[in-house]
Amino acid sequence: MILLDNHNVVIEETLTQPIVNNNPTAFDVKVVDFDGVSCHLSTLESNSVIRFSLSMLCYKELVQWGAQDMLQREYGPYCVSDTEEGYDFTLEFNLQNLPKDKEQREELVNKLAMIKRDLLAQPFERAFEQQAKFEDEKQTNPHSELMQIHYRDQEAFYIQAQLDRVTVIFSTLFKEDTDKIFGKVFLQEFVDARRRPNIQNAPQVLYSSKEPPLEIRHLSELQKTNKNEEIGYVTFVLFPRHFTRGDVREKTISQIQLFRDYLHYHIKCSKAYMHSRMRARVQAFLKVLNRAKPELPNVEKKTITGKTIVRT
Amino acid sequence: MRLPPVIMDNGTGYTKLGFAGNSEPSFVFPTVIATRDSANTGASGTSVPSKASHLSGNIASKRGIEDLDFYIGNEALSNSKTYGLHYPIRHGQIDNWDQMERFWEQSIFKYLRCEPEDHYFLLTEPPLNAPENREQTAEIMFESFNIQGLYIAVQAVLALAASWTSKKVSDKVLTGTVIDSGDGVTHVIPVAEGYVIGSSIKHIPIAGRDITYYVQQLLRDRGETSIPPEDSLKVAESIKERFSYVCSDIVKEFKKSDKEADTFFQKYQGIHSVTGQPYEVDVGFERFLGPEIFFNPEIASSDFLTPLPNVVDNVIQSCPIDVRRGLYNNIVLSGGSTMFKGFDKRLHRDMKRAVDARVKRSEELSGGTMKAKEIDVKVISHKKQRYAVWYGGSLLGSTPVFNSYCHTKAEYEEHGPSICRHNRVFGSMG
Amino acid sequence: MSNTLRPYLAAVRSTLTAALCLENFSSQVAERHNNPEVEARLSSSEVVVNPLTISRNKQEKVLIEPSVNSIRVSIKIKQADEIERILCHKFTRFMMIRAENFIILRRKPIIVIDFIIQFMEEVDKEISEMKLSLNTRARTVAESYLLQFT
Repeated sequence: MILLDNHNVVIEETLTQPIVNNNPTAFDVKVVDFDGVSCHLSTLESNSVIRFSLSMLCYKELVQWGAQDMLQREYGPYCVSDTEEGYDFTLEFNLQNLPKDKEQREELVNKLAMIKRDLLAQPFERAFEQQAKFEDEKQTNPHSELMQIHYRDQEAFYIQAQLDRVTVIFSTLFKEDTDKIFGKVFLQEFVDARRRPNIQNAPQVLYSSKEPPLEIRHLSELQKTNKNEEIGYVTFVLFPRHFTRGDVREKTISQIQLFRDYLHYHIKCSKAYMHSRMRARVQAFLKVLNRAKPELPNVEKKTITGKTIVRT
Repeated sequence: MRLPPVIMDNGTGYTKLGFAGNSEPSFVFPTVIATRDSANTGASGTSVPSKASHLSGNIASKRGIEDLDFYIGNEALSNSKTYGLHYPIRHGQIDNWDQMERFWEQSIFKYLRCEPEDHYFLLTEPPLNAPENREQTAEIMFESFNIQGLYIAVQAVLALAASWTSKKVSDKVLTGTVIDSGDGVTHVIPVAEGYVIGSSIKHIPIAGRDITYYVQQLLRDRGETSIPPEDSLKVAESIKERFSYVCSDIVKEFKKSDKEADTFFQKYQGIHSVTGQPYEVDVGFERFLGPEIFFNPEIASSDFLTPLPNVVDNVIQSCPIDVRRGLYNNIVLSGGSTMFKGFDKRLHRDMKRAVDARVKRSEELSGGTMKAKEIDVKVISHKKQRYAVWYGGSLLGSTPVFNSYCHTKAEYEEHGPSICRHNRVFGSMG
Repeated sequence: MSNTLRPYLAAVRSTLTAALCLENFSSQVAERHNNPEVEARLSSSEVVVNPLTISRNKQEKVLIEPSVNSIRVSIKIKQADEIERILCHKFTRFMMIRAENFIILRRKPIIVIDFIIQFMEEVDKEISEMKLSLNTRARTVAESYLLQFT
């Protein structure tokens, strides 16, 4: 597996029986997803009502950028106002009031399995729309908002639309020495990758380890943490060709929001690979040493009754 | 909001994955990994065959990350034509660390979808696991995956904790005898106050697979010719799972089934896996004869002849005398092959007979001068029995004190992997 | 093998051959004890011979401390940059955790020398291979990701 998926298998599997196959069974399941997303899927007293609640660190920020409108648009009839305690929003599905068409119900389950992706997609959509507007109106010095999404405790990403581009900046933090150094190697390759002919059209990637990029330098939270040299900044510069409406846009959004998870997944895989190498190498060293082991004299040992003792 | 700890129970046959607080694991799949190097040569090298499978999305052709080209669980089985299958766990213990590390890699990132840095982990181990294995596990978990904290629990102890869900259990103790029967082997493991009494553990070579074979043989002997030969094992397995129960006495049961033939004999409906034709199989005495091999092994096997209740009794008798009452008092069932209806009642009755007979005899030997207090034999069966080990982990993992029992990443870095040799017993919990 | 490596390893080999001329030697301080003198350093200085350093350059050297009944060999592994430093740290730590598998060997000094020489030869190679593979890996990972946008 190289790329991470946006699709949550547990959500899909839990909901397929009741929603798609219309087979109500009682369940009460807690699911998590990358970056501190947790969901609670449960049935209410009668098994024909399913409650789906979700919480994520940056939900409040996402609401500013249109998350709630998205929920209304996509899940309107299922939205309920009394949100389950400890969660950010709750949807309720009454099995009697689901679409009659099985394919539509399948689509609903698939959509729910991607709900985290769709929520995080909102600020991106908004920035892409803004950029298009700037270009249409030929604003030379457009004023656009800087959208901040604090999606993890100590890490955030920032999106800003400009006249001809959309900039996405991730702040990254490596908690461990090895990760820091491995991370640097990886990020350097992200920066250099565009030199290769087959990916010249990919978004430009910039990495700065000390100074925050110009777009976000004014933020007070960064000035405070600026002393902390552990934090680095990765900037993706997206041009309109990277977010052409349709599949390209969807794919860009899906990929870019998993950037941090992708990077950390591969750092961890590299460490696992190093472990394999080291295991093999230690084995090879031991082989040399074991040559020095005195050979055991091969004497048959017998019990008192004359049976041979076989060592296994 | 605190993210729930991850509970991973990697068994020889199946891996159970999920989050603490849930009543069932989110994933149950075979502990198998399919890699590019052929199964026979093992980890001979990272050479990559030239023909890249269209399924793998040309991972094999990408330089430097050939080690990411693998599948685990059911996906591994369905790719077994182009990949080599490996079973990283043998006899409950991790046999190949390279494969296990990669197995965990996908378990976490592909299936559980969590960033291990954000979670505490509870892993399980078989009884008598070597402390070196714990160190290696810790090395992988902390250094490769940067997990926040680690607790390695003994499977039998978790099975005991799982039994607290039963109404029969009044006080939450970690003393008892665990009968763990999966597909391959059945273990009888005595546990006293959270510690396994290693010298008294017994393994029985009769478990789920043997029952399936026996049912298959019974069907064949009776001439159930409607079963297509290639489906025969699968049919036997589902007949076992759907119709079997444990009776109290075979002779009586034979008579009873003759009398109530119309309700006793049932029909199994199957569909031919190749032709798609439906067929019917009569289900008869194998309903109660299958699980009977636990109690009368001689009907199916000639190498192992001690009935399960006797084994359990012997195990408890070999334990220190001061814990025996506690062990009789709390016999806990775990694993799929203990799920037969009536299994607990039969085990209880047979054991009670053996125990009472022994007490009576010792009273007689004392010439009537001594009177023993009756020994209370209790067999605990409960709803979470099938994945009892995982469920026990989920219970412990969801308690507020769980994190304080774990070794944290900071501790690991301060002291090194050796701190994970010892994991505190959850005994003090209420 | 590069030009300077060969004489370096040859020097280490002959020094070790000379140094591994050991004999049984009971402790002069504690009765009925038999400690490695180079570690214990309890007895008078005659039993601990002068230590010796063989350097290939600033970064690579071997310290050999002989004594009457034991020797201690310390190897400085080349670490040119922070990647090599972290990989070297990881590798030595990995070996340290498995120290118990590297059993103490008696009576066959030649093989112990072989082992040390092989270790010195291969550890550099291993670390640079690891570094190389990390770079290749990072490149493929970055490419695979960015290709999604094109």
